Amino acid sequence: MEKKGGLMKWLDERLAITTLWKVMMSEYYLPKNINFLWSFGVLTMLVFVILVISGIFLLMYYKPDANMAFDSVNKTIMMDVSFGWVFRHTHAVAASIMFLVLYIHMARGIYYGSFKAPREVVWITGFILFVLMSATAFTGYLLPWGQMSYWAAQTITTLFEKIPFIGPDLVIWIRGNYIVADATLTRFFALHVTLLPALILVFTAVHLYAVRIVGSNNEDGIPMTKEEKKEKGIPFWPVFMSKEYFVMSVFLLFFFYLVFFNYDFAMDPINFQPANYLQTPPHIYPEWYFLAYYEVLRGFFFSQNLGLIAFVASMFIALFLPWLDFSPIVSGKHRPMFKVMWWIFVADFLFLTILGKLPPTGFYAWLGFIGAIVFFLFFFSLPIISVIEKRKVASGGKQ
Amino acid sequence: MKELKIFLLIVVIVLIGYWGIEPLAHSIMHKEVEEAIEKYHLPDFKFSDLPNPSVASGDPAKGKEATKMFCTSCHGIKAEGIKAPMDAKAAAASFGVVPPDLSNMGAILDKKFLINFLMNPQKATENPKFAMPALGLNEQQAADIAAYLQSIAKKDLTPKEKTVEACTRCHSIKYQKIYAETPAENLKKYLGKVPPDLSVIYKAKGEEYLNAFINRPGVVLHGTSMPRLGLNKESQEEVVAYLEEIADPHKEQRKRVGLYVLLYMLVMVGLTYAWKKKIWKNIH
Repeated sequence: MEKKGGLMKWLDERLAITTLWKVMMSEYYLPKNINFLWSFGVLTMLVFVILVISGIFLLMYYKPDANMAFDSVNKTIMMDVSFGWVFRHTHAVAASIMFLVLYIHMARGIYYGSFKAPREVVWITGFILFVLMSATAFTGYLLPWGQMSYWAAQTITTLFEKIPFIGPDLVIWIRGNYIVADATLTRFFALHVTLLPALILVFTAVHLYAVRIVGSNNEDGIPMTKEEKKEKGIPFWPVFMSKEYFVMSVFLLFFFYLVFFNYDFAMDPINFQPANYLQTPPHIYPEWYFLAYYEVLRGFFFSQNLGLIAFVASMFIALFLPWLDFSPIVSGKHRPMFKVMWWIFVADFLFLTILGKLPPTGFYAWLGFIGAIVFFLFFFSLPIISVIEKRKVASGGKQ
Repeated sequence: MKELKIFLLIVVIVLIGYWGIEPLAHSIMHKEVEEAIEKYHLPDFKFSDLPNPSVASGDPAKGKEATKMFCTSCHGIKAEGIKAPMDAKAAAASFGVVPPDLSNMGAILDKKFLINFLMNPQKATENPKFAMPALGLNEQQAADIAAYLQSIAKKDLTPKEKTVEACTRCHSIKYQKIYAETPAENLKKYLGKVPPDLSVIYKAKGEEYLNAFINRPGVVLHGTSMPRLGLNKESQEEVVAYLEEIADPHKEQRKRVGLYVLLYMLVMVGLTYAWKKKIWKNIH
């Protein structure tokens, strides 16, 4: 970018690409005290690109029609098209791994307090991206039109029935039929390939823009001005990205291992049976990344309404983190009480995820209830911890 | 070092999660299947639950006579030039399912099972609704017929032919352009539902389940309308291998390409690490 040839100069005069490059890359400074967890934002973008590319190729052979969808995926793409299976495996595994990367990215944000002022907009746009990703995953999961596709869509859309007044009508409006049927498949397809990815692109742009205004957080949560970062920090390009490429390579090694050798977790065996609205599978469960919320829903086994409220709350409560946690101490690294609650939360999320796939009977049902309560405990403890820490800082504690 | 610790922590969390949602969940969800496999030692190619025939051996020549007397009013035997008395449609309408041609049954069925089956089809198949009635044969007659059927059967059936002989009276294999002999509406009446297509059934059910289920459907899936077929060890293994081959035709390609891709990524890990080292040399 330093040397300006004819074309570069011509473009620069019209688009100011040199300035853009500087703002976005070469003169965007990051603090030095960050670890590789800060690489996971770019990793989500890498996975998104993989999803878009593999998705476009799948789109060339996929048929969004209840009578053809299953065969177009399992016969045409998986068997007939040359290397079609690579694209299907890649797309399925990438969709699943997107959430692993996303969860680590979000967990880093929560642990190191990256959602706090002045980064609220970064957090909120990021959270919207998470919701959009979830919607994309959910609509995409119906497309192969297998048994699990069908019954997951059927179960989740049924949940809307409980919304007061409009519920039953809303369900029919979403499905375009009284049950999940061809109309549902085509509209989910439309959302999955057009509106949702477009929105993801828009919010990614805002997310990246916002983070370039306020800058990256760091391990110790020390606020740094742009000048301080320029002096003590590292530029995004090439220093940070040189590390990012290494992280990417390690990630892709793992990713392609899954694509070629261990993909069952992303392509459920039950989904290799075509959708049949007359035959409910013995076990219905979402993909692993929704299991924790699903288990919160099931945890309140004694009241469906309560379960539903808890389910919605569990998915959206993280959005309000900037206001739940108003402690002046930014990074969890320097917050012993927060650390305890945090690790309980992580263990509980894992616990709920595992429990979410098991049959919700007897002992498991009660475990689910406890797990659901502990899930919210973390969020409700944050204001209390914040008040205590505020007092401590006011009375001359460190930071 | 600190980064390595964080990395290891993530690895541990991910592995615990993976263990929970895959092996643990499957072992709990498929508990009944696992228990049945354990309890009955499935697949059990000795058919231990059926009594051993007391007759030492059958006589194919006598078996031929008995077959003509007892079997050919419903079954055809193409290998011997005996046509089925009814076409598939009429047979399906009268019996619920098209009776198999007997030419190759001797090659795919276990002999002990076959003798038991001939004497009491419902008991041997563990299916009370099984279409063939008990014929009142004594053990010697059953053994003779079994010996005869074995003597006429083709010895070099391919896995595909065996699968067709064993499965496609009721099951279709759409992706191989093989369609069930019995029309769907008859099957629905006879079995309660149209049996699943077998094109990708291997992916849906997996090898262990298929081996147990085909060997003894009734104890693996209670209330199933699939009868026990009594396939001998060799035939069942070939059938399952065939089902895998058609469900996963690119297995070899996947392994090979996968290896190349992983090797490529390993090189990339090395190269990017070297570049990172170079850029960061003067940073700390």
